[in-house]
Amino acid sequence: MEREACPSDAGERTREAMAGLRARVRDFSDFFPFGLAPLLILLVALVATAWLLFHPVSSKKADLRFWTFADVHARAYQNAAPAFEKKHGVDVDVQLVHGVAVTSRLRAAFWADLDVPDLVEVEISSAGTFFRGPVEDFGFTDWTPWLKQTGLYDRIVKTRFAPYTSHGRIFGLPHDVHPVMLAYRRDLFEKLGIDPAKLTTWDAFIREGRRVTVPQKRYMIQLSDTSGWSMEPFLFQRDGGYFDADGTLTMDSPTALATLKWYVPLVAGPQRIGNDIGGRDIFTRAVEKGYFLSFICPDWRSKVAETHVASMHGKMALMPLPAFEPGGRRTSTWGGTMLGITRKCANRELAYGLARHLYLNPEDLAERFRDLNILPPLKDAWKLPAFNEPRAYWSAQRIGKLYAELADDVPPQYTSPFILLAKNKMSEVVSACAIYYNAHGDDGFDAYARARLKDAADYVRTQMRRNPF
Amino acid sequence: MLGSRKLFRLQHKYAPYLFVAPFAVVFLVFGLYPLAKSLVLSFYTTSGPRSRVFVGLGNFAFLFSDPDFLKAVWNTTVFALFSVFLQLPLSLGLALLLNRRRLWGRNFFRLVFFSPRLVGMVFVAVLFVVIFQPQFGLLNRVLHAIAGLDLDTKWLGNRTLVMPALVLTSLWMYVGFNMIYFLAALQGVDKELYDAAEVDGANAFQKFRHVTLPGIKPVAVFVIVLSTIGSFQLFELPFLMLGNSGGPENAGLTIVMYLYQNGFETGDLGYASAIGWTLALGVLVISLIQMRITGAWKRGD
Repeated sequence: MEREACPSDAGERTREAMAGLRARVRDFSDFFPFGLAPLLILLVALVATAWLLFHPVSSKKADLRFWTFADVHARAYQNAAPAFEKKHGVDVDVQLVHGVAVTSRLRAAFWADLDVPDLVEVEISSAGTFFRGPVEDFGFTDWTPWLKQTGLYDRIVKTRFAPYTSHGRIFGLPHDVHPVMLAYRRDLFEKLGIDPAKLTTWDAFIREGRRVTVPQKRYMIQLSDTSGWSMEPFLFQRDGGYFDADGTLTMDSPTALATLKWYVPLVAGPQRIGNDIGGRDIFTRAVEKGYFLSFICPDWRSKVAETHVASMHGKMALMPLPAFEPGGRRTSTWGGTMLGITRKCANRELAYGLARHLYLNPEDLAERFRDLNILPPLKDAWKLPAFNEPRAYWSAQRIGKLYAELADDVPPQYTSPFILLAKNKMSEVVSACAIYYNAHGDDGFDAYARARLKDAADYVRTQMRRNPF
Repeated sequence: MLGSRKLFRLQHKYAPYLFVAPFAVVFLVFGLYPLAKSLVLSFYTTSGPRSRVFVGLGNFAFLFSDPDFLKAVWNTTVFALFSVFLQLPLSLGLALLLNRRRLWGRNFFRLVFFSPRLVGMVFVAVLFVVIFQPQFGLLNRVLHAIAGLDLDTKWLGNRTLVMPALVLTSLWMYVGFNMIYFLAALQGVDKELYDAAEVDGANAFQKFRHVTLPGIKPVAVFVIVLSTIGSFQLFELPFLMLGNSGGPENAGLTIVMYLYQNGFETGDLGYASAIGWTLALGVLVISLIQMRITGAWKRGD
């Protein structure tokens, strides 16, 4: 029978063990004199290094990596990709990257030559900024030979190549046409006695607008007095723009000045008919409450309205933009997206195949139109039934047909590496002119608008001259 | 084989370097090298890191005639002035108030005033964008009800209101944060000095002027310098509230936003580097002047 351990024996043994441990630590501290904490840090570092050495991050990547900034695009492509993967036996990774991040991340990827996707969608405003520097340094490949060789060049709306063309080469496949119409509250138009069929010119529209606008309560149209974005469609409608096809700055052309002088009194002064108070939820509430009777509505925005102002189901309708002169152009354009294949893409033929699958397959495009309302630039697709279906939200109008009928008349938007700068400067001009017009009205407005526009354009030209590339 | 004494000597000599090495390597690669590289780049016009043309001091020369840069400097300076002359006195006032022993709910209010700092800049920016909205925003609704303010007032869309809106937002975020520094400093002031001042017949203002202020001076200088540097580095708040354009007529454009525009939107890293170095030198000079004025280098401080 074992003797039970007496408490005093146990205490003795513990003391001995501790003394032994202390002696061992003392011996070890002769060998490693920096203390226990540095030793632990060193051990952790060694273990972590060993772990990383034996467990490297998997270098397996998809055969094609595709970045897009629009969640609706990402969803559509993620649904469409499996068929392509199955057909070609490859792996396609469609990644959603936030709209602001995609340009800076892509730029950084190009600069560092790291983590560059094979295909990427770029928003129209930023596209031009990627065309800076020597053309051989651009991060994108030239689509022109492939488009010409496949005959697709002639099947796509020509003007949509303009924003993605530089040095005579096409660096982006257009995703859309984005013809612009005018969306309006049909119920309120009827109540206020506005006949949209008679609003064929802007003069007629403005006349009616002045009749029904009630400051701070109701405006004929959503237009901004602080930003150039809502003036752009009118500028393009009149064949104006920021740059011409050669990349020469035209933001202070007579057309631009005339548009500015026409636009500012719509958003400033006692006879204003337009206002803008913000996007998203505010826009929703403003439309619902009848604060805005109408708004500029490219095809993509018709889906925004359906989604975010769903309560207006059946109360909304679309009409072509009024023209600047009788019989003139009844549309414009706003927004856009290009698809670029990067130079780093190892399998360009596969990338072209994916582009064809996602962008140029009429049946898929028709299905996508039902989801997104975005008119594709491939004209063949417009004949399909999806583009001729009545939409209950839009008072049973056949919106696909309406947009398609305007598509060939969509004006071009030429670009430059300085496009964002030009747009920012135009916004400054609009804002300054609106303030001036609020304070002084027509008195001296012509000279002021002219001078501000010229100053803004001169600044852009100065920056362009500083660019040696 | 090395003897244990020799090994000990070697360790004793080189081990500190080994432990400093991770920081040193990271600092050299991600700190010093980019700094040196950006200094070199500031003498070039670039299109990304590969295409560049030497322009000497051209970027710096253009900088001082560039109206957008000058506007950004003006905006940032105004914001910094508000930070130092409005935000910090408010923080100090709040700290004095919440340092009172007899104040009911003192700890609760300390937490309440500090809490905006806990939620982060993005949250604050989004929150205030909603508050500042025309027509339906909280601020306009309140001001309309009590003062008849136009419901369509565009705080973030009017060049004269943008800066007040940014200052107001930063006040909400930073007043409580800086209050904590002052509160800590106030609690370190020797209570016997107050007793002595009271015996000498000093009134409340005199005690504040001659006891409190000298007592919290080191912390106050620290907070002033830090607030100034932080203000000159202002980026996230206007970027999130106004977008990358800088608001109407660039009324909210700051120096770092302008740097970002040039570097990451236009792709001219050379000009962006010149802006960065000018900002760094400017902030250094301002900080030195502040420390000189406040007597931070005086013996005993």
